[in-house]
Amino acid sequence: MSPVRRAATMARSLAGGLSFPWRPAPVPTGADPVPAVRGLGADYDTSWARRYPARIARAAIIESVMRPTMAVIASPARRGLDRLDDLDGPVVFVANHHSHADTPLLLTSIPEPWRHRVMVGAAADYFFGNRIASAISALTIGAVPIERTKVGRKSADMVRDLIGDGWSMLLYPEGGRSPDGWGQEFRGGAAFLAIKCGVPVVPIHVQGTGRILRKGRNLPRPSRTTVTFGDPLVPTDRENARAFARRLQAAVAALGDESTSDWYSARIRAHAGTSPGLTGPDVGAWRRAWALGNRDRGSRRRRRRWPAL
Amino acid sequence: MKALQFRRHLPRYAAARLAGSLTPGRGAAAGPLQLVDLEPTRPPGADWVRVRPRLSGICGSDLATIDGRSARYFEPLVSFPFVPGHEVVGDLDDDTRVVLEPVLGCVSRNLDPTCQPCADGHLGNCEHTSFGDLEPGIQTGSCHDTGGGWATAFSAHPTQLHSIPATLDDEDAVMVEPTACGVHAALAAEVPDNGVVAILGAGTLGLVTLTALRAYTSPRTVVATARYPEQRRLATRLGADYVVTPTEIRRAIRRVTGSRAIGAPGLGEKTTEGVVDRLTGGADIVIDCVGSSASLTDALSVVRPKGRIVLVGMPDTISLELTPLWHREITLTGAYTYGTEVLADGTERRTFDLATELVAESKLGSLVSATYPLSRYREALEHAASAGRRGATKIAFDLRDEKERIS
Amino acid sequence: MTGHLAPRPGFVLDVDRNSPPIVFHHGEGFRLEKLPAGRSRVIYPAEPLEGLPDPDGAIRHALLHPIGDSEPLPALLNPGMKLTIAFDDISLPLPPMRRPDIRQRVIEAVLDLAAEAGVDDVHLIAALAIHRRMTEDELRHAVGDRVYDAFAPDGRLYNHDAEDPEGMVVLGETPHGEDVQFSRRAAESDLVVYVNINLVAMDGGHKSTATGLSGYTGLRHHHNVHTMRNSRSFMDRENSALHASNWRMGKVIQDAGVKIFQIETTVNNDTFGRSGPLALLQKREWEWSTRDRMQFLGMKSGLEVMPTNAKRKIFSSWQAPYALTSVQAGEIEAVHEVTTVNVYKQHLVSVEGQTDVLTMGLPYICPYNVNSIMNPILVMCLGLGYFFNLYRGRPLVREGGVLIMSHPTPWEFNPVHHPSYIDFFEQVLADTTDPIEIERKYEKQFAEDEWYIHLYRNSYAYHGVHPFYMWYWGSHALEHLGRVIIVGGNPAAVRRMGFQSASTLQDALEMASDVVGPEPTITHIKNPPILMADVT
Repeated sequence: MSPVRRAATMARSLAGGLSFPWRPAPVPTGADPVPAVRGLGADYDTSWARRYPARIARAAIIESVMRPTMAVIASPARRGLDRLDDLDGPVVFVANHHSHADTPLLLTSIPEPWRHRVMVGAAADYFFGNRIASAISALTIGAVPIERTKVGRKSADMVRDLIGDGWSMLLYPEGGRSPDGWGQEFRGGAAFLAIKCGVPVVPIHVQGTGRILRKGRNLPRPSRTTVTFGDPLVPTDRENARAFARRLQAAVAALGDESTSDWYSARIRAHAGTSPGLTGPDVGAWRRAWALGNRDRGSRRRRRRWPAL
Repeated sequence: MKALQFRRHLPRYAAARLAGSLTPGRGAAAGPLQLVDLEPTRPPGADWVRVRPRLSGICGSDLATIDGRSARYFEPLVSFPFVPGHEVVGDLDDDTRVVLEPVLGCVSRNLDPTCQPCADGHLGNCEHTSFGDLEPGIQTGSCHDTGGGWATAFSAHPTQLHSIPATLDDEDAVMVEPTACGVHAALAAEVPDNGVVAILGAGTLGLVTLTALRAYTSPRTVVATARYPEQRRLATRLGADYVVTPTEIRRAIRRVTGSRAIGAPGLGEKTTEGVVDRLTGGADIVIDCVGSSASLTDALSVVRPKGRIVLVGMPDTISLELTPLWHREITLTGAYTYGTEVLADGTERRTFDLATELVAESKLGSLVSATYPLSRYREALEHAASAGRRGATKIAFDLRDEKERIS
Repeated sequence: MTGHLAPRPGFVLDVDRNSPPIVFHHGEGFRLEKLPAGRSRVIYPAEPLEGLPDPDGAIRHALLHPIGDSEPLPALLNPGMKLTIAFDDISLPLPPMRRPDIRQRVIEAVLDLAAEAGVDDVHLIAALAIHRRMTEDELRHAVGDRVYDAFAPDGRLYNHDAEDPEGMVVLGETPHGEDVQFSRRAAESDLVVYVNINLVAMDGGHKSTATGLSGYTGLRHHHNVHTMRNSRSFMDRENSALHASNWRMGKVIQDAGVKIFQIETTVNNDTFGRSGPLALLQKREWEWSTRDRMQFLGMKSGLEVMPTNAKRKIFSSWQAPYALTSVQAGEIEAVHEVTTVNVYKQHLVSVEGQTDVLTMGLPYICPYNVNSIMNPILVMCLGLGYFFNLYRGRPLVREGGVLIMSHPTPWEFNPVHHPSYIDFFEQVLADTTDPIEIERKYEKQFAEDEWYIHLYRNSYAYHGVHPFYMWYWGSHALEHLGRVIIVGGNPAAVRRMGFQSASTLQDALEMASDVVGPEPTITHIKNPPILMADVT
């Protein structure tokens, strides 16, 4: 075949779209398609994201991109870090969940030594839907896939291995972002994992990220946020996952109360079992939205001026 | 007759000013003061007598003149060339020992009738200072015609002379004139009973004023400032309740009067709490025996509203913030020389008589720290200019052994 | 590495020819001094005891299992009650400790129980008697942000004000005729919880409340020359007139119906850290590594050229990694007995016999210059007051002996914190340094001075009478000693206090021999970290 002719053939095939072997051959009718080994969703293997090159890249992204971004759009006040002073070893962090801003905010708020050895439990269906999204999630936030509804055995084993290796977990027991600004009931997954791995759970309450980027919005709007860390909780011997999850939810609710009122009033209500719930009143949608307005203090904490000495 | 004479000589005057500004007392070496041999002065009038000084003190105003720091104010009030020296104990020709009251009032100028102040015995306030038979000169020691104490002889009017008891030695006697200034100042201060008085400066004037204050008034507390240990010791001996350094006076008066205080922050300073820049209350009376811008600023900071500042030290042209004077209705008054005083019990006494008694009582002759012959006048003046630092108070010329005097 | 070995007790080194030079604290710097061989000894403090593994658990346990005649804290709490929590001020511990402060841990534990009981009326008071008020930052450091934000904004957390005529009350008189003055809020509370940090043996017991919540009217009965001269030492409660008076007052307070639940804590000797830039200060010189030595040389020469203010900033930013070694709660006297045992466990070093010359290096901090300047009066108080009195039995130095201390002793004061100190130094000490004379002639006037009171109540000033107490604190030493020499101090400031100034330790020893004779015995008390000499 002369070079001229070969070129002509290629030009023709390009003009008509790529064909086999440039494209995969379609499955002939009558043949059953072979089930794909997807390696996505809960099956996505994130172990590469815990090797050093990825860890260094992630640390760089957290410190040089997320931290300044969060400082600008979230101006976070971080409270209660001293409650972690007596703690060491891997832990499970659980937080309420309003927004995509929560994860970067928490990754920049969780103190050393956990900050750079924490994996984020992310919805397998949402974050690990395709390869590119999976890779980005695993690299930037150290995401590991967890099922939203019921923690599967595979996820559980993976988490246990991770914790065994000294990694901590950040989980959102609500199973997804808040649809309306109020929290959702905690599911048992986080509690189940903590009981299974025998590690303490640090409850965290995030306040104000809903105003930055609530579910359904794409453009962030700067707002003040408060991250409140609580006392570590350890499951008692006879506590099952559901009971522990209730305790976690109460702890996060008490922290939320603390961040909008003051510590002592919040403690009084917590002991009396009258902390305002995370999930809001069980009433119609507009009344829920209305009640939400009362929760956000939103104003800057007034500081008395004292003379500099 | 040997004398230290001060001439009008502008280049030397400028040199003295320069030298004096570098080292106080140095004006003597460069300036218009010279040791000369003079013809004995002709008495300015028939009734004038010759006085042969025994001791002749060096006063702060003399040092100012010699260093060229003296105010232009005095130019029409002196006559050149003159012989300084107005703190004098000397002998008359009949060997009576006398002290000189140097102010030249109407009588010595042969003016009749006299001005009202002279008639009332307030010679220091004479209204005819540069008139009459004498050339200008407010005191012996600045008038060409009379001569002055820094010489082996000078002329004096009999009304200027006070004979002194034999119990006083020459050192005591030479202190009578400065003590009279102090007595006058103490009485001019109008100290309220149980008042708080601050005396700024513990040189000769400060110390004699302090002594007079204790003798003739009854304050509750007297606080004195002193820069040097010897001054501190003397001030304590002569009756100060507290003696502090000039930088400590504001805090001392604040504490003694129980006043509150205000701090004025400098640029870039953040706080004024606990800082004492001026008082909200303060001393009833401040007697300033220094007369500098700094001392008057202190005085204005520590005197109470409607209080009284008496200026005893001779000031010059100085710069001073007078807002507190206006705002706090402070009285600022001078106290110059002496004359006749009215005591608390209403009796009238000549200041010199009071001073003579006080010198004897309080042994103020001990304040004479060193004497020099005329020939060592440069040393003498330097010593006088640095008296405090060198632990001295009053420096005087000793003329008792001068050859010319004996002959 | 030493952390893994059992902490070693204190120890007395007999100096011989091979002994290394000893590091002396010298304000915001250090001196290396060679002590004469054959007749000198150096007392080293004990190494830091191990801290409690679970401090929060230990605190909770102490609250639930009180000592002495007291019910557990929860049983003392009920919803309608008036609860007052008083806590030690900025003078404890020294230097300030790293977060979380022990007070924060204890107060949060107490408040959590109070919250459980539903107590609404809670006040928190910094029991500072006549010390300066604490700033917001200092209070936040002590009690933590949570407690501060919960109570300070509406005025339920505040500094004690001993000059508030409405806020103080006299509860009665002791059999010795001492007025017992007390905070009205505390007196009217159903329960007072006192939160103490016991750094030295002087702290705690009835002194916490009887002194901390009192004012001049009460304090003058034991903060005076007579009492201080009869406290031998005031670090040894059994032999301290200061404490006897406080104990009498404590009885009156109890009899007046004030119920006090005392919580006392002790910390270890980990003042300068087991690692870090100052760690070498709690190591013995011969155990320094090459790195320690290089670090010391660098630090010393750096500090020598640094401006004083910069040095002060650096040193006052140091926070000690103190660990909690014990916590006990309940009835005051029973609690304090246990506390004292625990303090002694860390501090006591037995020393045989007295010495002719006692030397000490004074550090940059004392109880009254946290975030401030260590002025000459505080130098005197730290040396002759605190360090001299860190003995049990008899003083380390014999009667008529010489005390040599090293400190730059600058003629410098912080006018905000120490206004009356300036006047005390300029006017009182210029007149006399005799404590009796000072007390007689000046104390009342300073104590009642309106301006000082104004600054104490509204600014951040120590009370007008406080410098007097500093001087009284040293009065036992002044009476006992033949001479006091300060090495490397500002000569004018040293002279003003009636002491002698020397530029080197050698000169000072020379001067000392005029008093105690040639070839005297010398003892150096290597403090801090803190030690207390048990002298036999």
